[in-house]
Formats: sequence, C-alpha cells, structure tokens
Amino acid sequence: MRKEVPLLITLIVSIIVMLSRITTGPVPIIGISMPELFEGYISPWMTVVSAFALCLASVNLIMVHSGNISRKRQDWVYSLILLVTLIVYGAFCTYVELNPNNESAAANYSLIYNYILSPLMTGQWACLAFYVASASYRAFRARNLEATVLLVSAILVMLGAAPVGSLIWSKFPTIQQWLLDVPNMTGQRALLIGAAIGSFVACLRTMLGIERSHLGIGGSS
Amino acid sequence: MTLVPGNVFGFWMFVVISAIVVYMIRASENDKVKVSIRPIPGLEAIEECVGRATEMGRPVHFSPGLGDIVSTSVPDTLAALQILSYVTGVAARYDAQFLVTIRMPNVYPLAVETVRQGYTAANKADQFKDNTVRYISSDQDAYAAGVIGLMHQEQVASSILAGLYMGEALLLAESAARLGVMQVAITASVMQVPFFVAACDYTVIGEELYAAGAYLSNDKGRLGGIAAQDYIKLIVMAMIILGTLMTSFGSTFIQELVTK
Repeated sequence: MRKEVPLLITLIVSIIVMLSRITTGPVPIIGISMPELFEGYISPWMTVVSAFALCLASVNLIMVHSGNISRKRQDWVYSLILLVTLIVYGAFCTYVELNPNNESAAANYSLIYNYILSPLMTGQWACLAFYVASASYRAFRARNLEATVLLVSAILVMLGAAPVGSLIWSKFPTIQQWLLDVPNMTGQRALLIGAAIGSFVACLRTMLGIERSHLGIGGSS
Repeated sequence: MTLVPGNVFGFWMFVVISAIVVYMIRASENDKVKVSIRPIPGLEAIEECVGRATEMGRPVHFSPGLGDIVSTSVPDTLAALQILSYVTGVAARYDAQFLVTIRMPNVYPLAVETVRQGYTAANKADQFKDNTVRYISSDQDAYAAGVIGLMHQEQVASSILAGLYMGEALLLAESAARLGVMQVAITASVMQVPFFVAACDYTVIGEELYAAGAYLSNDKGRLGGIAAQDYIKLIVMAMIILGTLMTSFGSTFIQELVTK
C-alpha cells in the first residue's frame, strides 16, 4: 500500500491536471469539467500540502540555526540575525495583515523591504559583473580548438555589442547579430527540443509510476 | 468533454509518444531491446567529487536547483532528485559528509526522504542527520546568498548543482570556483549553460539532465525511456524537415496540422 497509493494519486492527479489544460465541457459521469475539477478539488489540496511543506521546512531552518547559536559555531551571529529577522518580520507582517486600516504600519513594513532587503539584493546582483569577468577569463583561454572558437566568437560578439566595435569596423555589429541569430540560436533550439522531449518522457515515467525514487520507495519498477 | 481547439494535434502526439515510451520501457525491461548510453564525463565525475571531499575531510554539497514540484519545472526537480538519490548512495559508501540545500519548501520533504532512503539502502541509516538536508529560503536571492555563505562556513570540497537554475547560477558557481570547490553542474536551463560551462569543472546540459537518473542507476526500464526519446527525436526531426520543405514549396499542411 505504501507504494501503490502514492503512485495511484500521482497518476490520477497528473491526468486531471493535464486534461484541465486541453479539454472543455463536462466529464460524462461526474458532470463537471476538468478545469473545474482542477480548480475546485486539486488546487486547494496543493495549497494545503504546500503549507505543510513550508511548515516542515521552517522547522528545519529554525532547528539548524538554533543549533548554530547554541553551539556557538562559526558565524553563529548570522544565524541569530536570521532568527530575529524571521520573528520580527513575521510578527510585523501578521500585524499588518490583521490591521489593514493601519496605513503607517503598512508603510513601515514596505520600508523594511525597500530600504533593507532591496539594497542587499541589488548589491548581490552587482557582484555578477565581476563574476562574469573572472569566469570569462578562465573560460576564454585558448587551450584547445573548442576554447579557441569560443574565444574568437566572444571577442566578435563583444566588439559587435560595444560602441567602439562599430567605430573600428562597421561590420562587427552585423557579424555579432549573425553569430547570435544563426549558430547560437541553432544550438539553443537543438538543446530546447532535446530538453522538451526529455522532460516529457521524464514526466511520463513519473505519471506511470516507473520513476519513483522521489517518493523514497526505491528506483524504477 | 472535448479538446480545446489548438490542442488536438498535441493530444494525439501525446498518445503516440506515450505508446512509444511505454513500449520501449517494457521492451528494455524484457531484454527485447538492449540500450546503452554513451559515457557522459560530467556524470562520471560525480564519484570523483565525492571521493575528493572524502579525502579532504570536507563536505559534498548538492543542490536540486530552484525548481518546484507544482510548476513547469517539475521534470527538472524530479531529475535532480534522482541524481540526489545516486549521490547520497555514493556519499554513504565513502562515508563523506553530505550537505543538501533546498530552495522550495515543497521539495524539502522529498529531498529528506530521498536522502534518508539513500542512506538506508547503503545500510548507513545512522549517518543521516537532521541538518543533512537544509532549507535555505524560497527567495532566489536569499537562497544564493545562503548557499554561498554555507560553502564558506562548511569549507565545502565539492558541489553538485542539478536541476533548474536562473540568474543566480553564476553567483553560485563562480563563488564556489573561487573557493576551489570541484563542481559538476547538470542543467537543462539553456540560458544558464554558458555560465556553468565557464565556472564549473564539468557541465551536463540539456536532455542529459533527464537521462542522468537512467545513466547512473543503469536501470533497464529507465534506459528504455531514454531510447524512446531518440525515436521521438527522429519523429520531430522528420516533421521539421517535412515542414520546412512543404512551407518552402508553398504548402501550409504541416502548419495547419500542428495548430489544430
């Protein structure tokens, strides 16, 4: 039963979800349409299951960071900041939700996001510029034929995209566009088609219960 | 109940493709078809990753990506969990320290169960600890920051990034590269492939992500599914060539057929 029930649920739910996207009109025996069946019966369960999963994950988060603090592990201060932020932000959010007419509370809640979280995220993404440079430097070293082709293509694309490129030679932007539209797009589409087929087969294996390692009940049938 | 216009061709293709997949899986299981997969260096390197971490006495990190199990990223996440199952087995065999970081709460219980099952299958259930699988944050930026911080704190020796990745791919991979972490990235996220190629030691791309579970487990049924993919690709290629030729000669038959 431990094997069969989850597999049966997976099969039934996946068929309903799939048919809800491509069919219309009532199903003969049950009298409601597949989209209604999905919206009315499957979707609420997804919310319930997700809420339980979030609860489990939050317990894990709190346990791991409480452990860091109690054992004074390296950088335990960050764990303390995380837990304090979790509690303060959670309490603040609950207060704002319960008091929708308190505009100043809502405004202060937005301030936390706008002036603390948003700059932190922006700063993190700003690091990408330097990461792109250092990763490119390593990748573009002409160690073999493929790396050399990559290096030459990268130089041509950079010259085509940078304003100075068109000043050096007016054909650089045309070459850049051709590289992006033809060899690059060909490779991307080949990857996409292969990935789409692979993704479909993976879903089908899961639907049919051939793939079951994610349920923690061993490999394929 | 009727099919919504525009989905008729897709539905019948679904039926045909499903029949091919089921037939190939059964044929492979019954030894009617022998399926072999070409060596994929990135997947072969997973054992090297775990071995390296064991020798250094430092943890192996695994991330099943940013995907969820209730969206279009389901196949990527499930494929990553299959790889997680294999990596757990190898880590248990080597007695390596193992660390799994999770972004989506829905994936957390599945990852816990996969890792627990992996240790149990290797007769090392006692090695599974509550903090082996760690939920970081469902926010993309916070997840990236959390994983980078963890890599620094835990002095991770190897990292395996499998599944769906978005803009933070380079943040994760390059931060790890700067720490000297051996990395294997396995993804079908086309836009992130160049970043992983630039920053990781091994990159497994595109459909190889979905084939990884079959490749690593060497399971006949799963391998049959991979063989079916090749036949489906042949059908798709034939349709592309036929469509191109017919459209070039002024016929819109294929276009009308696929949009029915």
